[in-house]
Amino acid sequence: MPLRSLRALAIAFLLAFLLITIGTGMAIFTATHATIVAQVDKRILSVSDNIAGTQFPARRSQVLARIAEILDERDTGDLGIELEDGEGRRLAGNMAAMHRRLPSGFSTLDTEDGIPGLTDGRALVREIGNGMTLTVIAETEPVDNYNAERLRIYVTGFGAIILLVVVALMLLMRTISRRITALNMTAEAIIDGDLRSRVPTSGVRSEFDEQARIFNRMLDRIGELMAEIGNISNDIAHDLRTPLARLRNQLTQIERQASTPELRAEAAAAIAQGDQLLEMFAAVLRIAEIDAGDRRAGFAPLDLAALAEETGGILQPVAEESDHQIDLTICEAAPVTGDRQLLTQAIHNLIENALRHTPPGTHIALSVTVSGDQALLAVADNGPGIPEDQRERALRRFGRVDKSRTRPGHGLGLPLVDAIARLHRGTLALGDAGPGLVVTMTLPLRD
Amino acid sequence: MDGDLKILLVEDDAALAASLVDELQAFGHAVEVARDGPEALARVGNGYFDAIILDRLLPLLDGISVLERLRREQVTIPIIMLTALARATEKVEGLSAGADDYVAKPVTAAELDARLRALLRGRQWTRASETLRAGDITVSPTKFRAWRSGKAVDLPKVEMDLLIELARNVDSVMTRAMLLERVWGYDFDPKTNIVETYIRRLRVKLMADGGEDPITTVRGVGYALKG
Repeated sequence: MPLRSLRALAIAFLLAFLLITIGTGMAIFTATHATIVAQVDKRILSVSDNIAGTQFPARRSQVLARIAEILDERDTGDLGIELEDGEGRRLAGNMAAMHRRLPSGFSTLDTEDGIPGLTDGRALVREIGNGMTLTVIAETEPVDNYNAERLRIYVTGFGAIILLVVVALMLLMRTISRRITALNMTAEAIIDGDLRSRVPTSGVRSEFDEQARIFNRMLDRIGELMAEIGNISNDIAHDLRTPLARLRNQLTQIERQASTPELRAEAAAAIAQGDQLLEMFAAVLRIAEIDAGDRRAGFAPLDLAALAEETGGILQPVAEESDHQIDLTICEAAPVTGDRQLLTQAIHNLIENALRHTPPGTHIALSVTVSGDQALLAVADNGPGIPEDQRERALRRFGRVDKSRTRPGHGLGLPLVDAIARLHRGTLALGDAGPGLVVTMTLPLRD
Repeated sequence: MDGDLKILLVEDDAALAASLVDELQAFGHAVEVARDGPEALARVGNGYFDAIILDRLLPLLDGISVLERLRREQVTIPIIMLTALARATEKVEGLSAGADDYVAKPVTAAELDARLRALLRGRQWTRASETLRAGDITVSPTKFRAWRSGKAVDLPKVEMDLLIELARNVDSVMTRAMLLERVWGYDFDPKTNIVETYIRRLRVKLMADGGEDPITTVRGVGYALKG
């Protein structure tokens, strides 16, 4: 499994570190022990050689004399010496009886052997001739329970190192994840439309700050480009709407001064076309205004249910004019935060869309429901609907669907509602009302 | 009924200014044109105007600055701000700088005329609670009731609001945009026939007991309640 997440990476690192540390500790422990054993073996061999002398078989009287001599020396207190004859009788030495018979050659002793004051040691047993067996033992520990002590020191030492590494790793992880969270929060804010949001920097010249600065520079650049596009659309508004207004005024004059009814009708038709063009401009600019997100500043708490009820009620007579019927299914309350004008316009657009695209006699269902932490406003009709493969297009600017559904309209009605939903951090979805079209606007409820 | 007005049009686009001047003159107004901010200030200083139509984007000194300077100098004549940028935030900015009304381009002379007359009339209101009269129709905005030839007419809320607005501006045209703003409080143009529908309903109610149609339709412009 690839280590993708920060946590998995940290845990893997910690495990590897733990294994290596414990391995190293054990290796050092074993190596020092082996060294000590080798040293002690050398010492008992030399003492044993001294006692046995150079002759073989050794003479008993000489051996006894040398043992006595060695035992008299002060610094041999930690040595144990034992001399036995062929029948196992003790001839000389300074040790109490052993619990077991030691094997010939070097062997290891421990507390089991019941030698007073000895917890860990080495023994050398050898035949020195004339049936005599010489045993020399020495402790491998400078103090009692030295190994246990050594283990404790190791555990404390290496434990401290491991603890330090764990703490350091956690701090590192926290720093990294805090930076990543800051970056994510900025990105989320940008997605939400707050283009002024930037990644905070700590002021220290770190890689993180460098990354934040580069990220912020990228956002600045995007902001500049967006502003340029905004300026272009403002320029278009100014540069194209003014001549259009001029054109319309001239046409109005022509209409007024027209000498024949035919000419007047022609002029009126031209004015109507000009108005449609201007209407399209207004819709495009309105969408641009909404997308810019400035209107969030004017957001206020409102009840979507009450707003839909009121707007649906106002539109009922309008629907009746074209022999349509609006059926309201509105829940108790749907508190949201938003722009009353825009949400009203969204409801108008959705109802108007349904009125325009369905034949007389059609029922239009306007409903507001609450589901989880979301408010759902839906407008459904039992008209011809929009085929599934064309629904996405219906939400695009100028993305008009199949001619059969399309009557006069600029194809900006649903994109405008979509922009309004986005501004409110919501979504707009087209679905099948079976038969007919259902357009659902989902907005987050106010907490 | 209103006297013709002397208007200062501040607009840098010569051709648009010329066509608006022609149109406004057709409504009986006398129009002078200023091409930029400083010229507008100079003309206001040197002459008398009933109203000013001020473009927002102007050379040398922009419309908002001209507006602010005029208001600082205690010039109280009605000012309609004209703009190609119909953004809500800019509208608020324009109104708080002291504009009486804010209209998006393109605007017809009929719309401007209707708004100018409404503005000038609005200043003559004595009290909001005043009972309004238009021909044989009487409206009480405070009691929220209406009578025709002394007989009470039962009106639902929207129709009542509509009648009050028309009665306040009796004999002058209220455009569709003005009614949407004032009766419904909409700052957008709903694509629905909402104004037409409610005018029709109001007419039916007002004419339920006979009598002629008290509302005049001005085609392509708006509606007026006859006085």
